[in-house]
Amino acid sequence: MGDIILDVRNQKTAFVTARGMAQAVDGVSFTLERGRTLGVVGESGSGKSVLSRSIMRLLPSNALVPADSRVILNGRDLTRMTETELRRLRGPEVAIIFQDPMTSLNPVLTIGRQITEVLTFHMGLKRRAARDRAIELLRAVGLPQPDVRVDQYPHQLSGGMRQRVAIAIAIACEPDLLIADEPTTALDVTVQAEILDLLQRMVRDRNMAMILITHDMGVVAGRCDDVAVMYAGRIVEKAPVRDLFHHTRMPYTAALLASIPKITDPPHRKLDAIEGRPPDIINPPPGCPFAPRCLRADAGCDAEKPVLAGTSRHQWACLNPLGEEAPA
Amino acid sequence: MRYLLYRLRRLAIVLGVVTFITFLLVNVLPGDVAYEMAGMDSSEEEVQAIREDLGLDRPVLLRYAEWVGGVFVGDWGTSYINQENVWEAITDRFPVSFELMLLAQIIALSLAIPAGVASAFRPNGRADRIIGSLAFASVSMPSFMTAILLIFIFALGFGWLPATGYEPISEGLWANLRPMILPALSLALVEWTVLMRTLRAEMIAVLQENYIALARAKGMSNMRILLVHALRPSSFSMITLLGLQVARLLGGTIIIEQIFGIPGVGRLLIHAVYTRDFIVIQGCVTFFALAFVTANFLVDIAYAWLDPRVRTGGAHG
Ligand SMILES: Nc1ncnc2c1ncn2[C@@H]1O[C@H](COP(=O)(O)OP(=O)(O)OP(=O)(O)O)[C@@H](O)[C@H]1O
Ligand SMILES: [Mg+2]
Repeated sequence: MGDIILDVRNQKTAFVTARGMAQAVDGVSFTLERGRTLGVVGESGSGKSVLSRSIMRLLPSNALVPADSRVILNGRDLTRMTETELRRLRGPEVAIIFQDPMTSLNPVLTIGRQITEVLTFHMGLKRRAARDRAIELLRAVGLPQPDVRVDQYPHQLSGGMRQRVAIAIAIACEPDLLIADEPTTALDVTVQAEILDLLQRMVRDRNMAMILITHDMGVVAGRCDDVAVMYAGRIVEKAPVRDLFHHTRMPYTAALLASIPKITDPPHRKLDAIEGRPPDIINPPPGCPFAPRCLRADAGCDAEKPVLAGTSRHQWACLNPLGEEAPA
Repeated sequence: MRYLLYRLRRLAIVLGVVTFITFLLVNVLPGDVAYEMAGMDSSEEEVQAIREDLGLDRPVLLRYAEWVGGVFVGDWGTSYINQENVWEAITDRFPVSFELMLLAQIIALSLAIPAGVASAFRPNGRADRIIGSLAFASVSMPSFMTAILLIFIFALGFGWLPATGYEPISEGLWANLRPMILPALSLALVEWTVLMRTLRAEMIAVLQENYIALARAKGMSNMRILLVHALRPSSFSMITLLGLQVARLLGGTIIIEQIFGIPGVGRLLIHAVYTRDFIVIQGCVTFFALAFVTANFLVDIAYAWLDPRVRTGGAHG
């Protein structure tokens, strides 16, 4: 076992809404080691973004997290920390790249300022040194003309360039853990590949750990070490990439894999190939949340909620997993 | 350049409409300046003679055209009552009114910004509720009522500030500011609430933005997020309002100058209305319209400063 950076234990996050409690993350546990990339996949609304914000403890005021949820980063429990302690850690220990590059930069501040403020606050750099370092970072993420761009505003940059800036901000303090929440969905295909290459290289060169959130099983196959499949706020299958692809246990994962776009498909095809809709997280069904859409489901699936089982290497939450004869 | 032409055309339309309507209104008012000039117990014939003498018996449209022609060559006319040159009468007094309005807006802003930010930070939190009720109390009182209350407390009660009067700036800055504080405050206590509510609403929306979440993810403090990251993008509506409020302020100064005995344009206008000295009324109204348009022009410039997208033309590159 390597050097564990992140240990999430029984993370639950609910939102108080007008319709009732929405259990967006429902008991997620996993660990992540240095130098590894964990892919998190799942349909829209499965709780991927809420999970990433829960890890960073960046939740809106209507969010509720029970006291037994734990997020342990570098051996320290974030759930026990004060806001001030958390602030010192956001940036140097954990950083995030948000889903939408078009809206994640402040429109009224220059690119340079949005990077240097991290450097001056966390690393104590002086103005000039911070600026030089910002230009260096922009060069490192492959932004053309970094010494010009540093004084420009976000609207003067294309989507791909903005996402590079967001990456530069995220890696400015060399975090141990980088959370990339669908860092490329809004970008076109060639830029997508470039950004993902860049992230992969950063993780390798700086020996960080990364959580790469995506819709795209293809991205997972090429760039992650482990995969966690999320459904209705829970991890329903988790394994090293190879095992997951070759020994798929959970029917939902199988459905996701079946929906990987082929070369022959039109571009930007989404994971809409699975019949039916995800369950309502405010009034979840009593049994397996995937059962209504599952071809293997039987009466037991509607009655009992399966828990994550299997080996420490490969876990799944299913009563009738693939690769085993369904009980007669 | 095209933008400037567009502004100028709008300015011309505004001025045309405003001056014409005032001209008509003044003319339908009962009584005219001829009565005033002829004195209390003059006969109808005497008054009629003065009217003919001044050319007041000619059609309204003709007189309006004459007046406009005069303004175009820089002749704003002379007062019927005291023969004072109208342009000079206004420009002599305007700095006083301007100071009053400027001071009022500064006070209003320095109340509205901290209060707006504090309420937006936790909507419906304790600070928000307290500020909300203060604002409600403050706005529900018209400025002349506030003025009387302020005089009662600070001038008559504590005796800290004078109740009326005006000192030119040549007497020293403090001497000049002292009598201006209560009048400016009376105006500001009405204006700040609207500014505050506008800022609050926009800031609540801005605080939901992704880039604010990113600032928090970067470990920035709440204070820094509010003031550096959120305040500027939240101030656009407030700045627009600041320009529009000039109209209300101009109206407000008329009353406030009257209450506090401040020799500004407002007093000039009131006096002119009493004496039906319509050439002065006309001048003041035109000047107010000019001031209003100028203020909103300044607002556009402030926009460019606030929003780099306006400044740099919004193009990629
Ligand atoms: N602030 C909030 N208040 C109430 N419900 C929320 C809030 N934020 C998220 N949710 C709900 O939590 C659930 C999970 O949302 P989340 O954004 O994590 O999905 P996601 O897996 O990231 O989806 P996508 O792939 O579309 O980004 C959704 O049902 C969403 O409506
Ligand atoms: Mg998401």
